[in-house]
Amino acid sequence: MNGPSVNDRISPELERQIGRLLFEKMQPLLLEFDRDWHLVNLHGDAALFGFAPDDAATSVQQLQDLFLGMPMEAAIDLAFVQMPNGRNAHVHLMLVDGGHQVLLIDAQGEHDRQQAQQQVGNESFLIAQQKDKAVRQLRQIRSELESQRNRLQEANALKNALIATLSHDFRTPLASIFGYLHLLEEEPDAPLETRNSLRALRRNANYLFALAENLLEYARSETRSSLLAPVVTDLQMMVEDLDQMFRVQAEDVGLGFSITLDQEPGEPPILDELRLRQILVNLIANAIRYTQSGSVRASLAWRGGSLVLSVRDTGVGIAQEASEAVFVPFNRAGNAGNGGAGLGLSIVKRLVQQMLGTLEFESKLGKGTCFRIELPDLTHLVQKVDARAESEAGQMLAERASSVLIVDDDPDMSHLLGEIMAGVGFRVRVVADATRAVEQALADPPDILLVDVELPGLSGNTAVFRLRAKGYRGHVVTISATPTEEARKVALNAGANQFMTKPINIEQFTRAMLRVRRSD
Amino acid sequence: MSTNASKVCLLGDFGVGKTSLVARYVRNTFSDSYLTTVGVKVDSKEVPLADGAVRKLVIWDIAGKSGLDALNMSYLRGASGLLLVADGTREATLRSAVDLLLQSRSLLPDAHAILLINKLDLVDRWEVAPATLVELRKSMTVIETSARQGDGVEQAFREMATRLHA
Repeated sequence: MNGPSVNDRISPELERQIGRLLFEKMQPLLLEFDRDWHLVNLHGDAALFGFAPDDAATSVQQLQDLFLGMPMEAAIDLAFVQMPNGRNAHVHLMLVDGGHQVLLIDAQGEHDRQQAQQQVGNESFLIAQQKDKAVRQLRQIRSELESQRNRLQEANALKNALIATLSHDFRTPLASIFGYLHLLEEEPDAPLETRNSLRALRRNANYLFALAENLLEYARSETRSSLLAPVVTDLQMMVEDLDQMFRVQAEDVGLGFSITLDQEPGEPPILDELRLRQILVNLIANAIRYTQSGSVRASLAWRGGSLVLSVRDTGVGIAQEASEAVFVPFNRAGNAGNGGAGLGLSIVKRLVQQMLGTLEFESKLGKGTCFRIELPDLTHLVQKVDARAESEAGQMLAERASSVLIVDDDPDMSHLLGEIMAGVGFRVRVVADATRAVEQALADPPDILLVDVELPGLSGNTAVFRLRAKGYRGHVVTISATPTEEARKVALNAGANQFMTKPINIEQFTRAMLRVRRSD
Repeated sequence: MSTNASKVCLLGDFGVGKTSLVARYVRNTFSDSYLTTVGVKVDSKEVPLADGAVRKLVIWDIAGKSGLDALNMSYLRGASGLLLVADGTREATLRSAVDLLLQSRSLLPDAHAILLINKLDLVDRWEVAPATLVELRKSMTVIETSARQGDGVEQAFREMATRLHA
């Protein structure tokens, strides 16, 4: 089999043909200069590279600039140089006797191919870099948002804890204030000036109490859903208590005030007494605050298993457009300047909802407002055994009580309770901590143990539990500044017979003690 | 050849805005579209100086790369000034600019060098920290530029011309 023949040499004819082909392909331009860079000769298409024949000097200067600063001792090659007309060429400087030759070879095609490749590569790189950067930024933003959310949650929890703690801690001193106020108001011979001072004290204590209760309720609602605490509710006592609380306040600003109860005979209502009281305190306090002249009339009606209460005033009224805003926390619907934290109605609305009730109001600007609330009986939610047990325990207490041991680390509070108990004939002993309470109760068991839950060291509940575990059978009344159903359950589980919250209703408390003495 | 002319090369990574800086300086134009440079583009501009003299700058806009290869080295021959260009929004290009300066020193030990940090108009996206520039300024002239808006461009070339003239 014959292969192709191989020749080392290209024939002159073939060489000429190749030369012609390359020459046509590269379209060279050869410029010949003398030593002083005067153009001597030119071969090729000058216009292809943007050299204007009529402005040869400028074109030559541009070529010269390409070699600026370079040693003119040897040939110089410059690849891909953009010519004045934008076309790209390879530039070769050759030294010849007596001058220079500059050869320009068209490189536009090769330039364009390289540029297209390079463009794609560079753009891809830049896009990838931007994408990476965007992803990094998004991650950072997400991380910042998460940490911001955590900080806000922490701040919110801290705020709620602070509000709850503060309002909780208000209860003990308020209990003292109300108690001593009561004692002082009972003084029959107090001069007028003293009576006026006491009225001012009660007015401000009432305000502080309502504010603390509202703040506690507000904080509580954000941390957990509130549980209802239905108990047998003495509406008559509540009405009397509220009358005592607000009558003086209303009269001091020249308002008529009344609070009435219309209760059908039969089983007493079972309601969440604390919440009901809070609703009434808020509505009445608001009515007095926003009424310049006229009256505030509250009424409670217990009929057919539901309680209807209304609070009517002749005050500034609520504008139609503010009828929603008044229920927003910390919003006083344009009535700024009249005091109050702006929590009252929002708390009322929430409490009514929690108690499965309904709320409506009518108002006319400048004429007054009437709130009407209907609350259902909560009997179905009551563990009847508890209610009966408390009732029976109260009956037993009434039959045999004669000595009391008061356990409270707040000397004002223990002194107040001691005064009340001594006033109704009890033999009173006082201790300030749970350990001594256990010792004394075991050494000389009192008929009644009045114990504060929040004590230094062992809690009041622990003391009660220990006493019960060692056979103490007396009547235990636990007093706490935490008005929750959980707190009540914990106290009863520890062995208490009754659970009362601060500030205790002195009237109610005193009357109960009086009943005990009467039954002795 | 004119004795009052100097060759100035722009070096820097691709996409930092070398071509745009020259376009802004020489022709006072700017285009948002990016077109990569292959090889070199040579422009010139005469700069009137404070003492009344005129310095012609022959400006070589060299294709962007993060390192110097043989081709780019060939373009650098005869240069008296180097404008190193970085993109403020891409910190890596600042490292490239410094690397390019160090590499070019073997060929051009005495060339004047100025560092331009371009894209000042996008300063809110800059990765280059001010503290970094403070450190760099201790060893070389650094000018923040915006080819888009023209900030610092005239100043940069004028500064180079002044140094070359001195």
